[in-house]
Amino acid sequence: MGKVIVVTSGKGGVGKTTTTANLGTALALLGKTVVVVDADVGLRNLDIVMGLESRVVYTSMDVIDKQCELSKALVKDRRVDGLTLLAASQKNNKDDMQPEEMKAICSKLQTDHDFVLVDSPAGIERGFNNASAGAEEAIVVTTPDVSAIRDADRIIGLLQHAGIEPINLVLNRFSPQLVGNGSMMDQADVLDILNIDLLGIVPEDLGVITSTNRGIPLVYEDTSAGSQAYMRIARRLTGQRIPIPDLEEKGFLSNIVNWFTRNR
Amino acid sequence: MNISIKQLFGRKPKSSSIAKQRLKLVITQDRLDVDDRFMTRLHHELAEVLAKYFEFSVNSVQMSLKQEGNSYVLVADIPYKKFHDANPR
Ligand SMILES: Nc1ncnc2c1ncn2[C@@H]1O[C@H](COP(=O)(O)OP(=O)(O)OP(=O)(O)O)[C@@H](O)[C@H]1O
Ligand SMILES: [Mg+2]
Repeated sequence: MGKVIVVTSGKGGVGKTTTTANLGTALALLGKTVVVVDADVGLRNLDIVMGLESRVVYTSMDVIDKQCELSKALVKDRRVDGLTLLAASQKNNKDDMQPEEMKAICSKLQTDHDFVLVDSPAGIERGFNNASAGAEEAIVVTTPDVSAIRDADRIIGLLQHAGIEPINLVLNRFSPQLVGNGSMMDQADVLDILNIDLLGIVPEDLGVITSTNRGIPLVYEDTSAGSQAYMRIARRLTGQRIPIPDLEEKGFLSNIVNWFTRNR
Repeated sequence: MNISIKQLFGRKPKSSSIAKQRLKLVITQDRLDVDDRFMTRLHHELAEVLAKYFEFSVNSVQMSLKQEGNSYVLVADIPYKKFHDANPR
């Protein structure tokens, strides 16, 4: 019996789809069986971010409408063993799906996969309800800015209310330089505000953008900071104890700045 | 509040500290489902009661909600001038 984890946020555009694609791939690279589920009905992206868009034939809506078997709707990723995608319908909208239908799909998938990662749409409405319906755990993605964090807190409240536990945080697009010069909150600030456990920090990485352009998740290349961050997060999800490295800038200048400001 | 070196040198506070401060306040209010109207009403009613016991200026009262661990604390700062006579004859 695998785990169903919803990847969600509150504010849009903070990196849910990027996180789902990379963690799904990373977990498969670690030998797990994984299905990534796009729950963003009507605005599907997970297929194109993963480079699988040309191979999608059926969607979760076809499964719900009994047009095809669930197993047949799963698109196999040929680059790594054990990774499949369940795409969202692009021509339907969020109201065409019921939370119970999503829940049924997730509980079926969980019987023969180690991980079911559900990519949620932004917001607190129907799309979020559908995406989280079958989830036992949640990953909340946020960037270190005021709007994303405020909205993350709202989502955390809703997840807690739904009894989803644990809820872990991925802090995305973190910039050591900006933290160093005092214009971005650091992880301690964000955790102090949100009061949940940190699963990992993903730095701002140009490689995320170029790998998305190519449809090849960043984790296939193991040198970039973003790729390594996602691999570490995936290992933590499998239960390994991997410390979260301090990404803050430790240059000469920032040490001086830190010395001057450490009492604030 | 400790006075930091930066303040002594007259520099502006870091924008990340301001962001954190603002977020803490607004998120506490979000969580408790408390809005500005509620806070204003509480402010007025509290001031009315307190005025029976001591002398202060209503405008000098500062009220805020804070989170400490898992609980919330209502902090009211009321600079008073003097107590009214507690047992007037
Ligand atoms: N760590 C990162 N470094 C650089 N760019 C990033 C990073 N994470 C995400 N991005 C970029 O941010 C944009 C939004 O990412 P993504 O689509 O994953 O967000 P989302 O939360 O799924 O958005 P939506 O709410 O619309 O579904 C993309 O262009 C992506 O390439
Ligand atoms: Mg998305």
